[in-house]
Amino acid sequence: MQIFRIKRPALIAAVLAIAAVGLAFPGPVAAAPAQDQALRTVVIDPGHGGLESGAKGKFGNLEKDITLAVSLKLKALIEKDMGFEVVLTRDRDVDVSIENRSAIANNRKAGLFISIHANGSVQRKAGGSETFFLSLNATDEETRRLAYLENNSSALQSRIDPSSDNDLMMILWDMAQNAYIKQSSRLAELVQAELDAMLGTRNRGIKQAPFKILTGVACPAILVEAAFISNPDEEQKLASDAFQTKVAEAIYRGLALFLKRGE
Amino acid sequence: MATNKKGGISKPALILGGLTLVLLVLVIIFFTGGGGEKVKRFVDSNLPKTAETAGAKALTKTVTLFFIADDDLLHKETREITAGPTEADEAERALTELIRGSEEGLISPLPPGTKVRQVYIARDGLATVDFSRDIADSFSYGSTSELAAVYSVVNTLVFNFKPVKKVVLLVEGAERETLGGHVDLSRAFFPDYSLVAR
Repeated sequence: MQIFRIKRPALIAAVLAIAAVGLAFPGPVAAAPAQDQALRTVVIDPGHGGLESGAKGKFGNLEKDITLAVSLKLKALIEKDMGFEVVLTRDRDVDVSIENRSAIANNRKAGLFISIHANGSVQRKAGGSETFFLSLNATDEETRRLAYLENNSSALQSRIDPSSDNDLMMILWDMAQNAYIKQSSRLAELVQAELDAMLGTRNRGIKQAPFKILTGVACPAILVEAAFISNPDEEQKLASDAFQTKVAEAIYRGLALFLKRGE
Repeated sequence: MATNKKGGISKPALILGGLTLVLLVLVIIFFTGGGGEKVKRFVDSNLPKTAETAGAKALTKTVTLFFIADDDLLHKETREITAGPTEADEAERALTELIRGSEEGLISPLPPGTKVRQVYIARDGLATVDFSRDIADSFSYGSTSELAAVYSVVNTLVFNFKPVKKVVLLVEGAERETLGGHVDLSRAFFPDYSLVAR
């Protein structure tokens, strides 16, 4: 019954929204930063941290340490050669909740969000690098609504006209997310190509997954999984400064291509 | 007068008697009807199996479980579990088998020691699975192992149990952000067969 109550007005609103697309788009939704204004801030998210160490390697290396090292290198590269502000969701070994990470990105009005991870599998032979962006196909009406309410940051509210009713706002949020997803997939593709060219790890391609960190961020967002820490060979690579630098450089190059083609 | 008075007295008595009778009939119908259905259902579900298995043996159901192989994909493996009485009971057994592991040398994506506390299947097709804390606390996940853990559960439930359309995972009876920092557990999952080997 509750679902019905949600769906009916949502449907009506959907019809309204479709009719109003032409009017709605140039207004509230088109405020997505990468579309109508120059990119100012890139947020880099070093995966895990503090008590939450992420995947563990056979030789004792922890995902959280590698993600932080790569993130610091990437920050330095971007700051040196591009004129952007770079914000890290953590700059040392501390716990930061996933919600706070996306809040940092939204409050700082991130134009792009890059989460950095090292992969882990129960299968020791698993190896390679891959880049993820958000999949919304695991979503239905109620869960989208929930995600919307959870992530309804002030940044988002300023982008979506607050005078529109709730269901309409929901649909506009979805439209904005869809616009981000297209850009996210393009960024993922370019970064993945560079990872493949530079790291010499197996190319696992770009993939979509319902990752928590990607659901709450109001801008194009990717999650890079550079090599497997659960694979002993790759763990040793990941622990080396040279390999970490390569990962940062590959992401940097993908990002540069993304920005170049976006203009 | 007398007849009137008599009727006045007996009317409520009649109504009361009538009501009692109706109630009695209803009770009888309820019990015999219910009992009859139960027996019939029991016999029906017994029919196909009694021919091949010994009468004393429990009824079984074949389920398909999803384990990890060398190619890092989920692979199907069939398993016999005790059947019934409800699909939630069967789902609980299927997941327990998934945790117990493969009989064909594959790897379970779920940490050993994890217990299935409860499975609840709602009418709208949402299955809620409650795992013991071992599923999250005794294991450090990478994205790949976390996706495999979540989708081995989701795929196993949706693949084997027709009423199940989507799945929510709980840990120790409560909602949890993620198992290990990656996959969003606040949403209901539809199955993802792209992680399954063909």
